[in-house]
Amino acid sequence: MLYDYLKLALGNLRKRRLRSWLTMIGIFIGIAAVVSLIGLGEGLRNAIMGQFSFLGTDILTVQAAGLMTGAPGEGAITPLSDKLAARIAQVDGVTAAVNRYIRSGTLEFNKVQVYGFAYSVSEGIDRKIMQQSMNMKPSQGRLLKDGDTRKVVLGSNFATDKTFGKPIAAGDNVLINNIKYQVIGILEKKGSFIVDSAVAINQKQFLKDFGDDGTVSAILVKIDNPNNVNKIEQDVEKVLRKERKVKEGEEDFTVQTAQQALASLNSAIFAVNLFVIIIAAISLVVGGIGIMNTMYTAVLERTKEIGIMKAIGARNSTIFTLFSLESGFLGIVGGLIGIVLGLILAYGFAFLGKIFLGSGLIQAHVPLSWIFIALSFSFVLGVGAGVVPAYQASRMQPVNALRYAK
Amino acid sequence: MILEQITYSLQNLIHRKMRSGLTVVSILIGVMAVFALISFGLGIRKYMDVLAQQAGTDKLFIYAKGTGAPGTNDQFVITQSEVDFVSKINGVKQIAGMYSRPVQITFKKEKKYTYILGFDVSKLDFILEAMSVHIIKGRQLKNDELDKVVLGYNYLFEKKIFKKAVNLGDKVDINNKSFEVVGFFSEVGDPQDDTQVYLTGKAMESLFPTVKDKYGFVLIQAQKGTNTEQLADIIDEKLRKHKGEQKGKEDFFVQTYADALQIFNSIVSILNGVLVLIALISLLVASVNIMNTMYTAVLERTKEIGVMKAIGARNSNIFFIFVFESGFLGAVGGMLGVFFGYVIASIGGAIAAGAGYSLLKPVFPLYLSLSCILFSFSLGAVAGLLPAYQASKQNPVDSLRYE
Repeated sequence: MLYDYLKLALGNLRKRRLRSWLTMIGIFIGIAAVVSLIGLGEGLRNAIMGQFSFLGTDILTVQAAGLMTGAPGEGAITPLSDKLAARIAQVDGVTAAVNRYIRSGTLEFNKVQVYGFAYSVSEGIDRKIMQQSMNMKPSQGRLLKDGDTRKVVLGSNFATDKTFGKPIAAGDNVLINNIKYQVIGILEKKGSFIVDSAVAINQKQFLKDFGDDGTVSAILVKIDNPNNVNKIEQDVEKVLRKERKVKEGEEDFTVQTAQQALASLNSAIFAVNLFVIIIAAISLVVGGIGIMNTMYTAVLERTKEIGIMKAIGARNSTIFTLFSLESGFLGIVGGLIGIVLGLILAYGFAFLGKIFLGSGLIQAHVPLSWIFIALSFSFVLGVGAGVVPAYQASRMQPVNALRYAK
Repeated sequence: MILEQITYSLQNLIHRKMRSGLTVVSILIGVMAVFALISFGLGIRKYMDVLAQQAGTDKLFIYAKGTGAPGTNDQFVITQSEVDFVSKINGVKQIAGMYSRPVQITFKKEKKYTYILGFDVSKLDFILEAMSVHIIKGRQLKNDELDKVVLGYNYLFEKKIFKKAVNLGDKVDINNKSFEVVGFFSEVGDPQDDTQVYLTGKAMESLFPTVKDKYGFVLIQAQKGTNTEQLADIIDEKLRKHKGEQKGKEDFFVQTYADALQIFNSIVSILNGVLVLIALISLLVASVNIMNTMYTAVLERTKEIGVMKAIGARNSNIFFIFVFESGFLGAVGGMLGVFFGYVIASIGGAIAAGAGYSLLKPVFPLYLSLSCILFSFSLGAVAGLLPAYQASKQNPVDSLRYE
């Protein structure tokens, strides 16, 4: 039975080939735009989030509250004391708590000077924890070790000739805040400009050269089991409240995993993407109106046919199904073509972006779920746009319909 | 003759009310989106122009280079002695070092974080002009006042920053030190500036003893008739030599106000342009819809075309009738689109203003409305070209025979 309906619906669409195609073009332009923008938008979001999420799920970061501009710790109102880490380390479930110092400064090589961030690497047993949690591996030379003084490990971006005109290699000398350091190693590429464009210095030397005012930029807390993260987070907060003498609800610090810290940035990017997609989706509404128009025309043209079908026993529901199938078909085929085109556009743009701009931020990422949503949406759009015309067709009086003259 | 053709076209459109209506709606939606987006883009541009006028074209900034916002890092500052040096450069009329710091502000036990600006009150007029603000409630800061603050515009309203609105005479705590609110500044239009707190340079120095004579940025007013671009270059060079720094390795940069706005303007234009392009996709779809409607109309009226031709209508008459029909659809869609776009943009602007972004205020110049309508008319006419051509080329005999 359904097969017969399908055959009829398809036959009717084929009879008005030009009109069917034009209607589907309307849908697939919209779907292609939406799919490609989702692809590029999600790709951008992934790329940006990837910049920040170099810390694992078993790491909590403690920061003083304030305006989050620049590096951790800059813009803090009441900075964290360097005594806190020792107290946090005693909390149940905390494997280690490591002070992090991050400062901005200048880096000079080959007579070119740039501004960027330097961070400290802890010494002793904490070194391993820090190197593991940040997944630091050398691509050249070696990592820092205890006893290194004016030795520095650079992020991978400095090993290209982009920044300084020529690449820096292990063994070269650089000036950091006009102090001479020897490059002892270059890190593997992390895909994050924060790590890839920063320099690492042993903590003792860092504090000597950058100054030590008893405050730290952040405290890195490694926990033994990521499943207990909420409990440990609360315990750490309790300790900090006591140490910093603030009441519950009035904390002037945050304890977060990298994922939590990024939640607001993540949702901001998502909101922007959504806005763009909504604007693109306007064209889908227009496409839907196109389907509706086509279906009204079809109903009108086939008034007599409908009368005959009803006269020989077709029920209202049959007529309704017939026209709905037709419009749903227009929607879903338009959607399918649109998805294919959209994927080609998105990956094509990402490819061109990589070649011509060399920017890793232009990526395409179309989640399967979105493809499914786009396809269902185009089907629903098709059926939805056809509902009123199909209903009108189904309610026609057979006698009037038969009498209808073009 | 033409009049008859036009009446005939219109009658046909009315005859197929539903179809014409839907086609018009599909154009309307696209024009509405494009119109609204462009009106916001033009609005921001106008806002920047007004800002530039208020601040005057004679203003320059010196910023300390660094990675964060001004004032967040003690390493990157401009010192009082550097300010004194620059003040002696030919062409500099006034100069003021601005303290800038992130602070915690507490009102009725509610805490927020914002920037605080401290400045020399004796240079107030010039500083306020450069920041395009003036006092709208209360009074100005006076020199040597150590426990008074002036707040940004948004503090005047409940739920914008604090749950309750702040009033003159209220006490606020800044980094746990109590201050009395003596005045409020006018609205700038973006939430960050309208959330700022202002106090005297002396109060700043007592709040942050380490900050003394170390400024986050410096405001400069050029003497009348001085080319600010050239002055910026001169300051850059002289200050660099003064600090013994090599070219390209300065730890500061000099920018004219016009340049700063220009950069912002071009970013806004690009973003707005991209959005408009995306919205134009819907107009593309609408034109496909028009084409579809017109093909259907030609098909339906095949016999009619045959009759018209049989009684002497020329190809060009038929062509005109159909092109006029589709152009008319476009024009009506365009007019309605402009109207709804106006409504939507006005509502959007009101919402943005309520959220503190009064810089997002749409403007509706006449040329925008006219060009939107003209554009949608042309879009309609172009979309009707092919169907109209097909109609005009029909063989009268075949047409008459068509069932």
